[in-house]
Amino acid sequence: MSHANTILVRVSAIEPLTPLIKRFALSPAAGGFLPAFSGGSHIIVVMRGATRVHRNPYSLLSPPNLLDSYQIGVRRMEVSRGGSMFMHDHVRIGSELEITHPVNLFNLDKLARKHILIAGGIGITPFMAQMEDLRAGSVPYELHYSVRGPEHSAFRDRLLERHGARIRIYHDSANDFIDVEGLLGNQPLGTHVYVCGPAGMIEKVVGTARIAGWSGSHIHWEQFSAPPVGDAFDVFLAKSGVSVRVPPDQSLLEAIEAAGVDAPYLCRGGVCGECRTKVLEVDGVLVHNDHFLSSEEKESGRAIMPCVSRAQCTKLVLDL
Amino acid sequence: MLITGIKSKPVYAPLAADVGGRYHVLVGHGVGAEQLLRLVDELRASGGSSRASRRMLYATDLSAAPNAMATVREADVAHVRVFENIPALLEDFRTLLETSRMGTRLYVAGPEAFMGLVMRIANEFNLNRDEIRAEECGSRARRVHCIHCRAATESVTTNIVECSGCRRWLVVRDHYSRRLAAYMGVMVDAEMPGERPAVKDVFV
Repeated sequence: MSHANTILVRVSAIEPLTPLIKRFALSPAAGGFLPAFSGGSHIIVVMRGATRVHRNPYSLLSPPNLLDSYQIGVRRMEVSRGGSMFMHDHVRIGSELEITHPVNLFNLDKLARKHILIAGGIGITPFMAQMEDLRAGSVPYELHYSVRGPEHSAFRDRLLERHGARIRIYHDSANDFIDVEGLLGNQPLGTHVYVCGPAGMIEKVVGTARIAGWSGSHIHWEQFSAPPVGDAFDVFLAKSGVSVRVPPDQSLLEAIEAAGVDAPYLCRGGVCGECRTKVLEVDGVLVHNDHFLSSEEKESGRAIMPCVSRAQCTKLVLDL
Repeated sequence: MLITGIKSKPVYAPLAADVGGRYHVLVGHGVGAEQLLRLVDELRASGGSSRASRRMLYATDLSAAPNAMATVREADVAHVRVFENIPALLEDFRTLLETSRMGTRLYVAGPEAFMGLVMRIANEFNLNRDEIRAEECGSRARRVHCIHCRAATESVTTNIVECSGCRRWLVVRDHYSRRLAAYMGVMVDAEMPGERPAVKDVFV
């Protein structure tokens, strides 16, 4: 398992930031400091509920130079499998949680000559820490932050206080939207664009950058897909010799873990590739929900990302 | 000491149009004129690049065909500049990149020593490998960086060479630095003073 060593933390502060987002501060239960990280990193929070264990990825939003606690922003998802509701409804100051060591899958490019950050809603969180790194450097940067309305702009005051005119906030409620074409159509060489937010926003930004002729090495995005629900199915784990039932509201990875089998993972959101698993046999279709495998790999039916993907079949055999 | 078979040795490929780009900058030297003109034709044929999107810089030398300068001047590009020497071209290239926009693709054709100098400037502007295409043609002579005195020795065609800075005899390795635009030269007789292999022409 990739995270044999989790860190026990205690919730030291909880603050509502918007009607839907709460900020949690997590301090090491044993005292001292948490591991160093770079802006854009995330952790997995392990939540042990009454009936099941949730493991959700959250970006670290606290400044990377403050290691006595980590801060995360959790958006309450009404239609979800329960992780964010657990955080909102059951976690109190003093609650203990386990977290993994930080991993960064959304790095700033160190050689960039300009950074353009584009955030939608809760997608602001990785940028909060990244902008602390940028603020300390000399490379120009700007943040374009789109939210539903004024009451939803988490961190507004902090952002304006720390970054002033580098921030532009857009309110859907005022029909004020980011002009992505205008923004990406006329930038100096060496500019990098980073986007984190809803799937539609990411597609829009990546697509617009491509049309404007930007090469892939200058386009960065992060999206943690929550594992989609689906029909129940059965999986046989060949190496472990275990048969597992995957219920509709549990991911394949969660079902494998619940059966006591260690499977690799890092992001739990279909982006990093760590949980890629060989499919030995399938008599139906694989439902690929990840952003990692190429379309050829998806069509081949020989690999699956258990953190977000499922199957519609009567028989699935994995090399685990 | 490993002399050949080193990963940092650049690999080149025939120039091909990248229609994903919005602007195209073509830079060449000497016999590279032929490759640039072929690329202009390809970009025109692709339909994805207007005349206004193409700019060309070219430095001539004795290796080029006698009519190369005249042909380059007539190329179907928005802007063409022809130079008598490489430093003048490089200065103009830097000015061009300062005003270039994202969506630019760089194409370079010529001897490696020339292309290295062009790409070193492109690096400063954070043009990445997926924005640059390069085709090697003409002399294979190398720029060699002496790891002892840090002087560059130009136009090296032999397996070992006397450093232009410190006069040590250097063995030329395939170890290439994009930052320095040069191959690594290491003192060849450090352990056995005076014991050197025969000088042979190898980069021609």
